[in-house]
Amino acid sequence: MALGTITESETETDLRADRPWVCVVWDDPVNLMSYVTHVFMVLFGYSKDRATELMLKVHNEGKAVVTTGTREEMERDVQRLHEYGLWATVQREIEP
Amino acid sequence: MSSFRQLDNGDLSITFTSQEAHVLINLTEQLLELLADGDGQSHQVDPLLHLVGISNSEAPPEDPVLRRLLPNAYDDEQAAGEFRRYTEHGLREKKKAHALLIYEALLPQDEDWNGDTPLDKGSIQITLQMADSLAWLGGLNDLRLALAVRLGFGSEKGRPQADGDSSNLENSEAQNSDLHKKYELMVESDPMKAVYAVYSWIGWLQQSLLEALDK
Repeated sequence: MALGTITESETETDLRADRPWVCVVWDDPVNLMSYVTHVFMVLFGYSKDRATELMLKVHNEGKAVVTTGTREEMERDVQRLHEYGLWATVQREIEP
Repeated sequence: MSSFRQLDNGDLSITFTSQEAHVLINLTEQLLELLADGDGQSHQVDPLLHLVGISNSEAPPEDPVLRRLLPNAYDDEQAAGEFRRYTEHGLREKKKAHALLIYEALLPQDEDWNGDTPLDKGSIQITLQMADSLAWLGGLNDLRLALAVRLGFGSEKGRPQADGDSSNLENSEAQNSDLHKKYELMVESDPMKAVYAVYSWIGWLQQSLLEALDK
């Protein structure tokens, strides 16, 4: 069950329909870098290196895709990240 | 001010002063009240929907702290509202559970305390299991986020805004840095100085728990 609503712009652009969904984490001036890394490791089972790499991408570039999959999976991941205070959104994969 | 340390069996231990314990008890209490406030009650309440965790409300909370703790999951408002309707109650419950864990760990040992006891006297030792460490980290993080919103620390550019009222959510990194300096130079008698000190201490505490887990 997908919980969100497909927006008009998404239904108009059928070319994007087969692209996967992603979970994006946004930069935040409050959350500690060490905490963000820890959350990535525990929630997604990433190695310390992988989690640190993603944390730095969020920090330096303002955002990073942390997981990719079905819309339902991404909604679950965003919900879990919100539970631990990270700012995350669900969207279609940014580049095809 | 003591830090977390890991015991031989993997549990984590820390000793709080009575004053520190009280700060955490008061803050988690306030957080629990805030998270219960307006839960599924923004519009007419459907008891059956509420029972199964579905809220009538699709609008983001009005309180800026709640908006930060319960953010939109989609940039698109309609999709965010629909998602919120099915998930916000569960998110509040999870955050309440994290805060309650901290609150209850400190509370029973606090019965002897009364207003006449000097706050700098006495200490409270807490031991938590490693399985509870993520909940503690999450609970401490929610306290930091709540205090940060009250202190005016905002987001970096590009982060999705919960709604139109983003007056204090669009600070640049430089503005946040200036704000840190402002609080550091603030006179001790200013109440916001105390809020800033607590905010900094909880960050220190969270870092200390992360370092203890890493050992």
